[in-house]
Amino acid sequence: MSDFFWLIPLIPGVGALINGLFGKRLPKPVIHGVAIGAVALSFLIALGCFFGPFLSGGGETVLEKTLFTWIPGMSAAQADGTMADFTALWQYRLDALSMVMVLVVTGIGLLIHIYSMGYMSHDPGYWRFFTYLNLFTFFMLNLVLGANFLMMFIGWEGVGLCSYLLIGFWFERDSAANAGKKAFIVNRIGDAGFILAIFLIFYTFGTVDFYEVMAGVSAQFDSPEAGWGVLTAIGLLLFVGATGKSAQIPLYVWLPDAMEGPTPVSALIHAATMVTAGVYMVARSAVLFEHAPNAMLVVAIVGVSTAVFAASIGLFQNDIKKVLAYSTVSQLGYMFLGLGMGAYAAAIFHLMTHAFFKACLFLGSGSVIHTMEHAEHASGGHRDYTEMQDMRNMGGLLKHMPKTGWTFIIATTALAGIPLTAGFFSKDEILWSATHGGHVTLFWIVGVIAAGMTAFYMTRQVILTFFGEFRGGEKMASHLHESPSSMTIPLMVLAVGSIVAGYVGLPFGASLIGPFLAPALNAGMPIEAEAHHASVAVELMFMGASVLVGLCAIFLAYRMYWGKPEGDKAVSEGWPGVYRTLYNKYFVDEIYGATVVDGTLGGASALNAFDAEVVDGAVNGAAKLTLGVSDLSNLADASLVDGLVNAVWKVLAGVSNGLRHLQTGVLQNYALMMMVGIGALIGFFYYYLWT
Amino acid sequence: MERLDTISSLQYFVPEIVLVFTLMAVLVCDLVSKNRAPRERRLLIVIPSLIGLVVALSYSLQGSEAVSAGLFHNMVAFDGFGQMLRVIFIVTSIFVLLFTLHSNELRLVHHGELLVLLLTVTVALIWMANSINLLMIYLALETVSVASYVMVGYLKTDRLSNEASLKYILFGAVSTGTMLFGLSLLYGLTGSLDLFEIRSALSSQEVVASSGPALMVILVLVLAGIGFKMATVPFHFWCPDVYTGAPTPVTAFLSVGPKVAGFAVLIRFFYGGLASPSEDGASWAMVGSVDWQTMLMGISVITMTLGNVGALLQTNMKRLLAYSSIAHAGYIMMGAVVLSGEGIQAMLAYMIIYLFMNLGAFLVVIVVHNDVGSFDIKDYAGIWRRAPLLTIGMGILLFSLMGIPPFAGFLAKWYIFSVVIDAGLGWFAVIGGLNSAIGAFYYLKILKTMFIDGSDTPEPSTPLALQPLYAGLLLVLIVPNIIGLLLWGYLDRVTEFSQKLLDAM
Repeated sequence: MSDFFWLIPLIPGVGALINGLFGKRLPKPVIHGVAIGAVALSFLIALGCFFGPFLSGGGETVLEKTLFTWIPGMSAAQADGTMADFTALWQYRLDALSMVMVLVVTGIGLLIHIYSMGYMSHDPGYWRFFTYLNLFTFFMLNLVLGANFLMMFIGWEGVGLCSYLLIGFWFERDSAANAGKKAFIVNRIGDAGFILAIFLIFYTFGTVDFYEVMAGVSAQFDSPEAGWGVLTAIGLLLFVGATGKSAQIPLYVWLPDAMEGPTPVSALIHAATMVTAGVYMVARSAVLFEHAPNAMLVVAIVGVSTAVFAASIGLFQNDIKKVLAYSTVSQLGYMFLGLGMGAYAAAIFHLMTHAFFKACLFLGSGSVIHTMEHAEHASGGHRDYTEMQDMRNMGGLLKHMPKTGWTFIIATTALAGIPLTAGFFSKDEILWSATHGGHVTLFWIVGVIAAGMTAFYMTRQVILTFFGEFRGGEKMASHLHESPSSMTIPLMVLAVGSIVAGYVGLPFGASLIGPFLAPALNAGMPIEAEAHHASVAVELMFMGASVLVGLCAIFLAYRMYWGKPEGDKAVSEGWPGVYRTLYNKYFVDEIYGATVVDGTLGGASALNAFDAEVVDGAVNGAAKLTLGVSDLSNLADASLVDGLVNAVWKVLAGVSNGLRHLQTGVLQNYALMMMVGIGALIGFFYYYLWT
Repeated sequence: MERLDTISSLQYFVPEIVLVFTLMAVLVCDLVSKNRAPRERRLLIVIPSLIGLVVALSYSLQGSEAVSAGLFHNMVAFDGFGQMLRVIFIVTSIFVLLFTLHSNELRLVHHGELLVLLLTVTVALIWMANSINLLMIYLALETVSVASYVMVGYLKTDRLSNEASLKYILFGAVSTGTMLFGLSLLYGLTGSLDLFEIRSALSSQEVVASSGPALMVILVLVLAGIGFKMATVPFHFWCPDVYTGAPTPVTAFLSVGPKVAGFAVLIRFFYGGLASPSEDGASWAMVGSVDWQTMLMGISVITMTLGNVGALLQTNMKRLLAYSSIAHAGYIMMGAVVLSGEGIQAMLAYMIIYLFMNLGAFLVVIVVHNDVGSFDIKDYAGIWRRAPLLTIGMGILLFSLMGIPPFAGFLAKWYIFSVVIDAGLGWFAVIGGLNSAIGAFYYLKILKTMFIDGSDTPEPSTPLALQPLYAGLLLVLIVPNIIGLLLWGYLDRVTEFSQKLLDAM
């Protein structure tokens, strides 16, 4: 089965094609049959690959398949002045890193596809939704299976497109359409960095193939100083791309807005897979980053800052999905912290566990929203979707929808880092890595603070949503019921994953995933011995501290919100400034609005004004000038040219008339004039031509 | 150069002999058919005339062997130049002869003498163009003139025709008399009537030293006779009056035949007598002390300018074409001033093309006069609606006369201008160009009248009467103007051969 690994990305593509072309006329069972079947098939092949060659061959297994030569040799200049053939193959490569990603994408993707069956069942855009989902899967798999930066870029752009389409899926809502636009535009900024990085990579190494580039890095820049300049530039440019796609400071703003999309989309694209593309990309370029420590440091700083920053915003959000969105941003920050600290495997590990529990949380929230909206609808209410997603209108849902509730709680424990859950292992792995590299305590402390905040807001969310009394109104309460099994089964699967997924990465050097990924992260090169597992005791101590912080946060949240849905008041009244700042997300959107957006718009309107006043003015001026000139030339034509012509005519006519008088008809005059002429000729000769 | 005696000269003189016998035969035919019906009588004279001309033409075309000789003890030249001119004259005569057949002006008169005169002038033109002896030049020129005078006044009952004839005679008498005076002075100065002997005499130092002012006067006086034939300023005065008064076919003939012969004499006289050829015969240097090149240049400029300006206000078609022909004389003279074989070539090319476009224009005048009965330009209004094809044909002829590409007239002007520019006389070509622009004024005025004027009259138009003979002739005259570009290579070869004067004289 592993021989057909290259079908993994193509099958969902075919699914998208079928649904895209014929979906409108197909019945729903066929639509989701095709879409789910395609992803399931991909997942099966991925499993086959994993349990086949990868289980037996370990992390060093690499499967390659070149479908065709995408860009045949084009001569292009190189950094060293030579010309290289720029060749790009349409090549898929499945190594350990890709394997993990493929399993996450197809596995989680499959569950979300199944979940969507129930969640989207009443949506008129059913076929469109599954088309987009399959298309997204196709591009995402291209992204993770592509063997070179260009292939990755194709996937990168493709998932961006699908993200845009799916955020704006309910484009009749202005807010959704705007959110889609925002996501797209912000991503474009990052993409610009990515493509520049690709240019620079080719310019430096003469290839865009991952393994060849990494080999080139090792060969050309064996001493760390050698390539600081160009490698740092490449690293930072790549990271600019990553901040866009993975919603890091300063480009994270699109992700919370992206929650305008259907919840399965939020789960699949904006939590489990697409937003992790940046993490994957940096991990893919691990060798390069290893040779660019400054870039690494930037990655770590941005990562940890984003982690704590987004977590703090999440503290007092009321929209159930917004909390999760900021949580996602925060968790992605963790991953980048891990990457920046050189713990690539830990980052990928966290990516994987996060995919489980965050998908579970999103789908759980989706289930809640689904139920809320149905209840509202059934009770004849007409409050809009923002009200239905507001946790202040929820409460006590656990008894109405226990499956959703309990899976949500399990996933929460994972996210909060309760020991023995998946999140605990992966987050701890990252925090542990943060103790290395000389910036020890600061990164660790900030990371732990963020972890504490995470535990706090998740506890708050669980309490507000599932415990206490239902605050959505009497009428609604009677209509609350559990979601269909197509939604709850994926939830349960994911909840199980939220626990067990962590056991592939046990601490204290017992990790399975670390050694598995190592060959791929090293791009097939020998692995340098990682000796940072200094001491079990030290690691245990750090671990204990972070767990303690988490538990304290949970207890604090419990004290604040248990039975007191208005628990925010403690903060909003105690520290109104802090609360307001956090509640309003540090006013970043406003700041961006005032600076970047208004700046851009201002610039645009300035340019518009420039266009209208100066350019149009110039054009109009030119037109006026032209008109003026043409008037002038008309005048000139009428008076000058015509005048000239007329003058010439008049002169000539006058002369002509004169000649007519000369031509008297009287022969004597002719003879006389002829004689005069002869005399004139002789005179002419005499005075001028006499030589 | 081979100097031949009378008997051995005759072999190169066949076309002229044929024409002389023809004209005598026509004379006899005309006399013996006196009692026959007019139509029958006309056939009896026209057919022998045509046969004679065609035979002469065929002999002329055969004579294109590269022989050059001075016939009759150097009285008449036989060379490529002369052969070409002979063809031009005979072709012109054939056209004009055919023009006369259906002309309304000549409807009421007997054609017999006219044809005899036409044949006489044709022979005389050939002599004139080939004379290399002062006496012969004068004799031929006078023969042409005298016969022309009669042709111009052929409409005995027409006052204008008589007046034109008289003016022509008197003006011609003054001109040729002046010329004769010059010739006699030249004989006195050099002691010879032979152009080549005159040249060698003028080349000797003592003659140059002593002859300056005399030679100057001689040149101007001789030019009077030649200029009279070419119709160049200041010897052009007869031209508008005579062209207007003469029967139109005669006018057409005068506008081509004697003019071309005049230029031939100009070349023979100045290149033969007053310039010495270079080794290869491709260029000449002036002998004697007189810069006649500049004089010709001046005359050329004044002639073309006066011709064009004079034409602007003309309301009579024939008079306008008279001025137009004066202007064209100015253009043709441009080729004479550059003192090179190529200049002669350009002149010949111009004259050949001029033959077609000018004869064509006059034929249209004849055709229109046949129907409308007027030479007034304003009576040409609305011709477009009555005879669109004729109007288009006239358009082509006029565009050709203007020198608009791609018509042959453009090629002629372009060639002659480029020769002038090559000679380093750019300003001269610019004046030529400006004159062409002025010329466009009056040619376009005719076109405008034909195409636009009178097009708003509601009355249904009757087709213009066009005799099949004239239609055919028009076609023959117009087509070369259109396909001039295609014929250019041939024309170039012919003129290349024909610019070879009698051993470059």
